Amino acid sequence: MWCYEKRLQFPVKITKPCPKTAQMIISQYGGPDGELSASMRYLAQRYTMPLKEVGGLLTDIGTEELAHMEMICAMVYQLTKNLSMEEVKTAGFDAYYIDHTTALWPQAASSVPFTSLEFQSKGDAITDLTEDLAAEQKARTVYDNLLRMITDPEVREPLKFLRSREIVHFQRFGEALEKTKDQLDSKNFYYFNPEFDKDMFHGKL
Amino acid sequence: MSEQQLAIASVPFQQWGEIYDDKEALHAGTIFKDLNKPFFAASGMLGEPAEREKSSVLTQEPAEQKEREDMMRKIAQTCFALDDLTLYLDTHETESKAKELYREKLQEAEALKKEFAEKFYPLGRPCILYSECPNEEHFCWQKGPMPWEGACV
Repeated sequence: MWCYEKRLQFPVKITKPCPKTAQMIISQYGGPDGELSASMRYLAQRYTMPLKEVGGLLTDIGTEELAHMEMICAMVYQLTKNLSMEEVKTAGFDAYYIDHTTALWPQAASSVPFTSLEFQSKGDAITDLTEDLAAEQKARTVYDNLLRMITDPEVREPLKFLRSREIVHFQRFGEALEKTKDQLDSKNFYYFNPEFDKDMFHGKL
Repeated sequence: MSEQQLAIASVPFQQWGEIYDDKEALHAGTIFKDLNKPFFAASGMLGEPAEREKSSVLTQEPAEQKEREDMMRKIAQTCFALDDLTLYLDTHETESKAKELYREKLQEAEALKKEFAEKFYPLGRPCILYSECPNEEHFCWQKGPMPWEGACV
């Protein structure tokens, strides 16, 4: 069960619309390393995690990513509010306008629609946590790239916040991997799959 | 924790260290000084104001909106400290300093949300209990701006 609170995790208040910036930022909504993909990845992986606390961490981070998705959507929305027809024709936003007017739709900056092919839920704790570490780094790089391109401080502040969260999440997934490793034999972490070979994991064989 | 091993990734466990105050933490994106690792192109090189408050001073806002936004900012700061502590406690479940701080912040956050509901509108369904007029014709969505509108940060 989820509980909604009528506020953003970090304030987004953009006073200067810029469809071109919206077209770049939308990638963190529906792009390959976006917040939607992050949230769905973690919330999908949690069911079969052998360690309760790792399933819990995936739930908490997956939930925070939903709040990040809401921030990104709020930014895109505010950047494209009350546009004139002239502004709509800005390079990069005209094609989006034809299909979605100024509504929100998850796609990458390159216009590729959101797809679950961007993430994995592999059913092996080491594999999935290693994917999660990489996912946080990929998202950080996207925020780095956005921060190089965008100069408006009202847009940069929330982007800087979101970038910092990627680094914190990386640390937590690293700790989750360490906790998982502690339950395995360090001579060979790959002797069995802790998510599938449950009897071996619990030392029953 | 575990020693480093061949053919698997290792990340050292974070030790409890220095903590930012709530305002600084929201600005940095973490309450932990040890995890604050900014990007060079994200610093002042583009001449941006360090605090967003500076820009909001210039725009004249009605007193009620200002009070509401100030309170909302405090709620965001306190609740963010809770968000970051939640993840820390997920992997450091026995850390007593973190648990103590979590309880303290949770009480602060609840008091702020209660006050906000009494003065303005409920932020979530549990806050309806604190809202002034329980028998009024509107339910919780009608009051206050939508969070993505930017009018209420």
